[in-house]
Amino acid sequence: MYKYDYIDQTLVNERVTQFKDQVQRRIDGSLPEEEFRPLRLQNGLYHQRHAYMLRVAIPYGLLSSEQLRTLANISEKYDRGYGHFTTRQNIQFNWIKLEETPAILADLAKVQMHAIQTSGNCIRNITSDAFAGVAADEYVDPRPVCELLRQWSTLHPEFAFLPRKFKFAVCGAKEDRTILLCHDVGISLKKNTNGELIADIYAGGGMGRTPILGSLIKESLPWNVLPSYLTALLRVYNRFGRRDNIYKARIKILVKALGPEEFARQVEGEWASIKDGDDNFQQSEWDRVAKHFTKPAYKTAEQISTEDLVQSALENERAAFARWLERNVKAHQVPGYASVIFSLKPHGSVAPGDATTEQMLAIADLADQYSFSELRVTHEQNLVLADVEQARLLELWHKAKAQNVVLPNIGLLTDIIACPGGDFCSLANAKSLPIAKAIQERFDDLDYLHDLGEISLNISGCINSCGHHHVGNIGVLGVDKDGQEWYQITLGGEQGNHAAIGKVIGPSFGAEQIPDVMADIIDTFVKHRTADEPFIETYRRLGVTPFKEAAYLNRSKESSAAGATA
Amino acid sequence: MSEHVSQTNRVLSYPKGGKPAIITNEWQVWHGDETELSNLNPKQKVLVPFSWWLMHGQAQVKDSTSELAKRIQEKTIGVWFAADDDILKHLDVIEAGKSIWPLVGADFPVFRDGRSFSTAALLRERFHWTGEIRAIGDVLIDQLILGARSGFDSFALRADQNTDVALKQFDLFSVRTQNSWRDCRSQLSNQLTEAV
Ligand code: HEM
Ligand code: SF4
Repeated sequence: MYKYDYIDQTLVNERVTQFKDQVQRRIDGSLPEEEFRPLRLQNGLYHQRHAYMLRVAIPYGLLSSEQLRTLANISEKYDRGYGHFTTRQNIQFNWIKLEETPAILADLAKVQMHAIQTSGNCIRNITSDAFAGVAADEYVDPRPVCELLRQWSTLHPEFAFLPRKFKFAVCGAKEDRTILLCHDVGISLKKNTNGELIADIYAGGGMGRTPILGSLIKESLPWNVLPSYLTALLRVYNRFGRRDNIYKARIKILVKALGPEEFARQVEGEWASIKDGDDNFQQSEWDRVAKHFTKPAYKTAEQISTEDLVQSALENERAAFARWLERNVKAHQVPGYASVIFSLKPHGSVAPGDATTEQMLAIADLADQYSFSELRVTHEQNLVLADVEQARLLELWHKAKAQNVVLPNIGLLTDIIACPGGDFCSLANAKSLPIAKAIQERFDDLDYLHDLGEISLNISGCINSCGHHHVGNIGVLGVDKDGQEWYQITLGGEQGNHAAIGKVIGPSFGAEQIPDVMADIIDTFVKHRTADEPFIETYRRLGVTPFKEAAYLNRSKESSAAGATA
Repeated sequence: MSEHVSQTNRVLSYPKGGKPAIITNEWQVWHGDETELSNLNPKQKVLVPFSWWLMHGQAQVKDSTSELAKRIQEKTIGVWFAADDDILKHLDVIEAGKSIWPLVGADFPVFRDGRSFSTAALLRERFHWTGEIRAIGDVLIDQLILGARSGFDSFALRADQNTDVALKQFDLFSVRTQNSWRDCRSQLSNQLTEAV
């Protein structure tokens, strides 16, 4: 885990002072709200439906137990006893007082955390693989590059007022777990045949109103020239990205308008004049950062088979434990170790991604006891203990059970990604959380869920797509019609190496219809699937028609849907 | 102050390697509309729009009898770049401008439009512009650090801005994690141990 040096710590401390002064000027009236707004957004402070919301950065999703404890204490002291882990690997607090934010930032700074650039039209928190450094399919550990880029982008003077927000994702594994192609810039790390670290650069992806997958614009870029190359790229975007229309301001629109080849050519032209500058990373910087991402002190342990693990449980626990091992425990690079996912998606009780103060404190303890005091946040809004000895999985399962985080639904229908929606977000067209809850309650049978296999269900309360509905196998989007809340369904979205944007199946539905619509879609899948075929493959094989027919057949009898269109 | 000429009395000057100070402004910004340049006080230093320079300025540089040429000789003419001026399309004009203009400006039509940060960075990095670059337009206190690092060394503050707060901005950060026009990123010598 990266540890701040004197420079990082000083920067964050000085940032707290700067923001404190800005808040003070806002409160005394010398800084008008309109001019304060972008400043507070660059510090992750939104004004939401009910209160201020503070988004705290969790760079590339990596968290120490001490940091999690601080987050827990903040949720207790300044909020209402919980925090919300987001699809960009950050955490949000929903009930913040403006005048208390400087104190919160000061608390965060003590554990090497901050809220810098978690919002606003600047380079946002850099996301990465939640299994970085431990995933069995990894080519390169992306974290040193993520950290160097975190530093490079923090308070970058030239790119603090871009046309729109700017999101980087970095991936270093065979399987993409970062939705690389849905980012403004996706950096795919590899080693070349000489063993040198290189990056393929994808640009112009994003969700929102105009979902587009990014295009490859540069291959095999040496890792150390990333600062100059990205400077060139951002300079082209800063100068020519559209500023007349907020919906057309993302880099994806520029890349699309110019064409990826022309965009790449312009970046190349700009880069040519700065590529040899002293902006580029030095080997010494790599060395200093990379030494924080070496392997922890693993024991030499035997690989234990799942069967043996299951046998170690009491007879009446075996079925449940086996399910948990199957869904929530992932393969590790090191024999005898595994990564464990804690589900923050208990059925029907809380918002996906929410964790209470008590849970956070307890999970921090578990991280201390079982995983070298480290955790990760996934973009699916779950938590990961990445380095657990297999021999202690049963013990961990018992303890984690008490915190209600062992539901074995990872990757299944009820592992729902959902944005805060109309309950909190002032941009929402419709609520997301009650929909997620209703679906979880409808599909509460774990046996059935396991039989259905991998299905991703993602819900956004508006077209901004914070809930990633475009890349869910099933996507639900809140739409507004005549002041009423309706829900549009998309099918066929996918994240990962075969990333795809889902297609809208037709007119939208009322909230109360959604669980039944889901049931019809799922029944259709069950009817047509072959053996263990996953949902997305059945969908690809059959196309949208049978699903669509099933979804609308029963509905046509229900008058409330009549006339409701997206 | 008319609509087509604007002047702020207070300019924050922050030369590279120097200290920030509030100085009296000698330059007015002419917006190039309606009134002819010749109607402006000939004693006053003027920043003309770059687009106007492209249309009218260049030709007159060679015509030594023109009023503009005289002003140029007296070093009382500079240009300002609008946020959407593509300066890279005019490499030779700007190259030539280096020996003509004592000052160039870059405009912030609204403070949250960051294009002129890149203009200043390009002028410094690409054109190796060593003269003064002034931020003009909606120039606010909280954007000063960004401007100073991108390449600006003077700021025509919007009239309502508090100069005391402005002068303190540059002391807020003693370290930086990326290179900029003023400084390289702060680097620990490898001997120094991790902090805190
Ligand atoms: C609560 C206040 C929020 C506001 C005002 C807000 C605003 C927005 C906006 C305007 C977009 C559209 C981006 C586009 O043009 O493509 C967006 C997308 C997105 N937001 Fe949020 N958001 C909020 C909450 C969240 C939350 C809670 C999350 C995570 C759970 C999140 C993460 C994302 C992500 C991942 C996208 C996807 C689009 C992309 O990456 O291109 N945001 N948000
Ligand atoms: S998708 Fe819309 S409703 Fe949901 S959090 Fe984002 S902006 Fe708010």
